[in-house]
Amino acid sequence: MTIAPHDQTRGDSTPYIEDGLSASLSRNEVASLCMKAARGAGMSWGLAEEAGFAAAWLVQHGINGPSHLYAHLDQAQGRPWGDLCPTVSPGAWEAPAGRALCPIALGATLCDYAELPEGIKARSSLEIGKVDHPVLLIPFLAVIAASNDLLIDIVWTGGMVTLDGRSDTLMHAAHALAGQQVPITLTARSGKPQAATPGKVPKISAEIIAALNTLAMRTTVPSSESSRAGAGSTTTDND
Amino acid sequence: MSQSAHDATSQTAPFRRPASEVMHLDRIGCSHPTRLSFLRSMLRRLHRENWKVDRPVWEVDATGSGHAVYRTRCGDRTYSLVAFAHDLPEDMRSDRVIATAWDATFTLFDGEPTQADIVRLRDNVPLQEAGRITTRELTLARANRSVRLFHHVVGALSQGLQPDPAEIADIGYLMRTTAVYGSGKFGAADRSDIADRPELAAPFQVEMLTVWLIRAFTVDIVEHMAVVQGGDRAVRLDRDLRRSLGVGNSTGLGMAPFIVRHPVLLNNWMIAREEALARVRAQSGATQPAVAGLRVALDAAIENARVWTSQHPLQVPKLAALRDDLRMLSDTVDTWDFGQPLPWDALWRWSVDVLSLEGQEALLSIMLEPHGDLVDDLADCMSADEAPSFRIDGAMCVRDLRTILKQNYSWALSIDFTTPENIARFWYVSEEKLEPRLGERATEEGATLEQPLCIARLVAELDETLQERDEDEPVAAVLLAHPEHRYVMRRVQIAQNHPFAEVQDNLISADMLPIDLLRCKLSFFGATRFDPRSDRWVRINLFQGAPFPDEIEQGYLP
Repeated sequence: MTIAPHDQTRGDSTPYIEDGLSASLSRNEVASLCMKAARGAGMSWGLAEEAGFAAAWLVQHGINGPSHLYAHLDQAQGRPWGDLCPTVSPGAWEAPAGRALCPIALGATLCDYAELPEGIKARSSLEIGKVDHPVLLIPFLAVIAASNDLLIDIVWTGGMVTLDGRSDTLMHAAHALAGQQVPITLTARSGKPQAATPGKVPKISAEIIAALNTLAMRTTVPSSESSRAGAGSTTTDND
Repeated sequence: MSQSAHDATSQTAPFRRPASEVMHLDRIGCSHPTRLSFLRSMLRRLHRENWKVDRPVWEVDATGSGHAVYRTRCGDRTYSLVAFAHDLPEDMRSDRVIATAWDATFTLFDGEPTQADIVRLRDNVPLQEAGRITTRELTLARANRSVRLFHHVVGALSQGLQPDPAEIADIGYLMRTTAVYGSGKFGAADRSDIADRPELAAPFQVEMLTVWLIRAFTVDIVEHMAVVQGGDRAVRLDRDLRRSLGVGNSTGLGMAPFIVRHPVLLNNWMIAREEALARVRAQSGATQPAVAGLRVALDAAIENARVWTSQHPLQVPKLAALRDDLRMLSDTVDTWDFGQPLPWDALWRWSVDVLSLEGQEALLSIMLEPHGDLVDDLADCMSADEAPSFRIDGAMCVRDLRTILKQNYSWALSIDFTTPENIARFWYVSEEKLEPRLGERATEEGATLEQPLCIARLVAELDETLQERDEDEPVAAVLLAHPEHRYVMRRVQIAQNHPFAEVQDNLISADMLPIDLLRCKLSFFGATRFDPRSDRWVRINLFQGAPFPDEIEQGYLP
């Protein structure tokens, strides 16, 4: 039996890659890899879980969540929380002066405030300052829309999409909001979004997987002899 | 789902043990498998639904290399275990997750594999973590021989003899699995894609099916090798001896964090088991068949304790206590007045006064055994859709959050995290293998990369922050100011409606034993012969005494 040198549990992403270019990951793998990468890039554990959720949600709906997340993490890593989080007030949320909001922190906070006066409400608009990679907001808005029976419009200079649960609208929104850094306005009205249908599983590029892996490995500790010793058998298993 | 086991039958409420009694390491570290364990509920389903199992492919050569397919059919679905047998040099045999080669490797295929599937799987499954499977596969697993028993059994059968029953009893398995991966690992199907199939709805059903079919493979491969060695003289393994073989398993620290990371699931497992005990205790009388069934289960437990061996200093005294307890229990049951009001509850109360934790938890399992009609439906309440509890209720005010802390986390808030012994350890993930490990804070590097597994300390930190906040403030505002509390905030809100969600002990203290976490989880799988090899890894046995595929129709159930 030949033993390949690479191993996914040793932080080597080579086995993921089917044709040297890209790979399909299970949603569990996406959530897990992206959570660790977000943590490695400096997010708190709880926010890193939100990043994993968002990436897996996008993949489930046919959108390359890991790629969008990496683009954001690469840009935002190392920035202090105060530079990434919104100032919250009814009708208008702001980014710190001269900064763009982290879409994961913003999305999670929008969910946290969904039942509060400062949150998204039917028949009202919420102005939000500049947002990095607003495509990553979509999973959070979809959760709010589904649980509060809202149809949410995302409006930015030069464009608008309604999150109504339809696949084609979703793909359009993802395409339009990818790679952007724009101020947005969220407008909501009562209505039941369609249950979102799963999309075709996107292929994730080898570079993105490797880059996320590199961030994820920052959460790990180099092994010492003492740690290895107690974790399992230290003698032969020929018994 | 989480509350269904409790809400449905409020008349059992007075007989329920509170989480504060159940959820401690010393007690969950004495957990015994029950009839609600996942391998037991799977076998009941296989029998009830008349699943058909056969082995359409056996292409293994004289060196013991090749592949086989085990096919299980239920209704219009088929699941196939694809087994690859290897001729492994002895110097490569390691049960560690860091091993790179095994005696046999496996995958559970969703459907019936084509020749092209087999070719694809042959290129990947033997590599395990260094290979890649697809959404057509549900699990990935590997196993190593118990060299001593494997050779003994092959040798005996090849000469037309049956193996020595004492040798079989001593080891109990021909092969040990190490990891059995599921839930989307290495490209496999996600749990959420299969969780709506009734036969897979309960937890770990694909993993249990995989191991049960591996067990059949382990016997087929020794019988095959016996024919290779002995030709016409070779005989098949005696069916009673065969049934006493399970599948071994080596499990280390990697499994320990699971029950901490899945609070809703842990809650549902615990609540189902505790409700089952409460239902039995709540009965006003005892039928003659139930009393007879208790005796049978007790005798089986006594026999199990007799043959259950361990050399480990942590387990030896526990086993001695268990044997003493079972002896006392046996004498007591012989003269017990089952005509008294609430006879089961009285027996339980007696045990709490007299028996060690090992004996009490063993009695729980024994008391459920003759009450299948009363408790087996609870096995349907043990899965969990974790997605709904992911969202934080940001509108909850600080006052209400602090009430949850007081009600559910007083055990955590009473721990002094300023003393060295209470923060002696830290959980981390190794760079080497991305597996969870436990470090010594005082002497090892890496504590800055600590994993959030000590819930008690995270709760204490949250509590400290909350003391500074306005009681009427929504927790959304707290999280905006303190993103570091988002992880534990989620848990605290989960605990509000899931009283058994937390292991109520300090998971980084100097005297914490990871094997207690392992035993808890493994008992829900249905594992027996828990045999610690250190404070952080164990060997166990799965499916010992259970029917083989060709026996499942006969209705023989463990």
